[in-house]
Amino acid sequence: QESHATGKRPDNPADLIEEGELLLTLNIFYPVIFQKHKDHKPYQTVLVLGSQKLTELRDSISCVSDLQIGGEFSSQPDQAPEHISKDLYKSAFFYFEGIFYNDKRYPECRDLSRTIIEWSESHDRGYENFQSVKMEDYVFNDLSLKIGFPYLYCHQGNCEHIVIITDIRLIHHDDCLDRSLYPLLVKKHWLCTRKCFVCKMYTARWVTNRDSLAPEDPCFFCDVCFRMLHYDAEGNKLGEFLAYPYVDPGIFN
Amino acid sequence: MSAVPGLKEDCEELLGAFQRADTVRFERFAELWRERRFHSVFHGRVRALERNKLTKKTLDFAQQYFLPPYSFQIRVGALYLLYGLYNAQLCRPKQKIRIALKDWPEIQKFQLDLLDSQHYDATYIFRKLRLARAFHFTAMPKLLTYRHKKKTGEHHFREEFKDPSNRVNTLISNDVLEELMNIHYHYHKMKCAISADKSQPDKSLSLIKDDFVANLKDITLEHHEWLQNRMKLFQDAKETDKIENKKKEEALLASEGSERASALARIKYRSYSAAIEVSKSRRHRQVQLESSESGPSCGKSPGRSKKPSRRPQPARRRGEMQVAKETVTQHIGMPIITEEDTDE
Repeated sequence: QESHATGKRPDNPADLIEEGELLLTLNIFYPVIFQKHKDHKPYQTVLVLGSQKLTELRDSISCVSDLQIGGEFSSQPDQAPEHISKDLYKSAFFYFEGIFYNDKRYPECRDLSRTIIEWSESHDRGYENFQSVKMEDYVFNDLSLKIGFPYLYCHQGNCEHIVIITDIRLIHHDDCLDRSLYPLLVKKHWLCTRKCFVCKMYTARWVTNRDSLAPEDPCFFCDVCFRMLHYDAEGNKLGEFLAYPYVDPGIFN
Repeated sequence: MSAVPGLKEDCEELLGAFQRADTVRFERFAELWRERRFHSVFHGRVRALERNKLTKKTLDFAQQYFLPPYSFQIRVGALYLLYGLYNAQLCRPKQKIRIALKDWPEIQKFQLDLLDSQHYDATYIFRKLRLARAFHFTAMPKLLTYRHKKKTGEHHFREEFKDPSNRVNTLISNDVLEELMNIHYHYHKMKCAISADKSQPDKSLSLIKDDFVANLKDITLEHHEWLQNRMKLFQDAKETDKIENKKKEEALLASEGSERASALARIKYRSYSAAIEVSKSRRHRQVQLESSESGPSCGKSPGRSKKPSRRPQPARRRGEMQVAKETVTQHIGMPIITEEDTDE
């Protein structure tokens, strides 16, 4: 698990990590999209410093759902990637030990945990009182954590990731001591990317439903093949279909 | 983490040989290490990823022998083993030895013991490891992995390596006896000070048995010797009578340690045979070397020639130890201590 950043020292001396800093190792599991992942969930491993804010971790988690583009674009394929979901839906929370840490940095951020808290308080469900606080006000050193216990990261309203802390230790001379590189990704699960049905070479960027020109439903195309098949030289739509921009989960490989 | 095949056997063989060598000197350990070409444990894996995994598992495995409840000699052997493994590893940057927060006070105590008993080579080895930054200071001892299909087997303690303990001796340890001795001496002095005759207390002040501390010491020693004899008896019976008495045999599995344990006591005796100067702040508790026979007349601390708390004791079967055979609790009856006559 030796990463590229082992032993690195910062260019800026203000970024040097001090002795006594804690280093946490977190496994962030991908949400189950494919059924084959149900038993062995793929995860990424991230190193984070005790003095870092929770929001820094939140910003570093790369999830494919953040890049989703909502909307049907068969009539205007060129206008597709305007707003990715990450920009539209900025709310997120972490759940650690009975406390929901909600991201409240932007005015659009909502308290996603409110639903859960209300549900728990509506009847005596056997849970202790949950609290809701601001994610940006806390650093990891402030938390009480259990090693190996599953916690939650939720964003986009319903995209949930299990978070498990596997190790806490003191920073060591041989570690990467450049603060700006943390949270540091050390391990990532490699996902197979879905390829275009036509050329079988490029990663799929479009998916179509109810497509009269496609052999299966849904059908995946790369950008070039998609346009060649569905639009004529002038850019007119040929045939009947619904087209959605597709972001493959393997995009982070 | 799945176990490294053969590693347990190799380590135990090496530590066993070290124990039989009856010494804690590093030269001896180094000889044993070189005889076995132990550095070649790392030669199995060539690729970097596998090498890292192998080294991590090896260090992790060896580290547990460094902590209680293993006996003093095994722990020193484990320290040398860790030193050897840490330096012989092929990974660059080097894999570290994980020490959990809860284990650290034990290790510091161990280091102080090493210093006190003048095992300077062991202390030096430990210092070298610290200076080389060989340790990771972690919250938990074992790094978590999620291979739920591969179960890590229960670790079976090697009985000979364990430092068996005796409940009586853990209660009445050397420290307790020293304290008692000291308090008794002060008490005696106080009584003299307020009496008419300064050299001895008034008759009216004698409310306790004067030599009770010494008696306590003797009783504990007696108990210990009794246990040793009992164990020896069982062991002899075991050798001559293997097939017949199954129950006894199983109960005796744990007593094999007593032979080696007495060897251990001899080693310690050799090293403790030098008296240590105590610091000025503890002037009133000067250490004086005494032989076992000296009576209670000198009210000073018994000296470091005996350490009942570390005397080898037959192993008590503990709940968590699971030997392959069925667990049979030992039934060693307690000796009957007769009431002493008052000698006032």
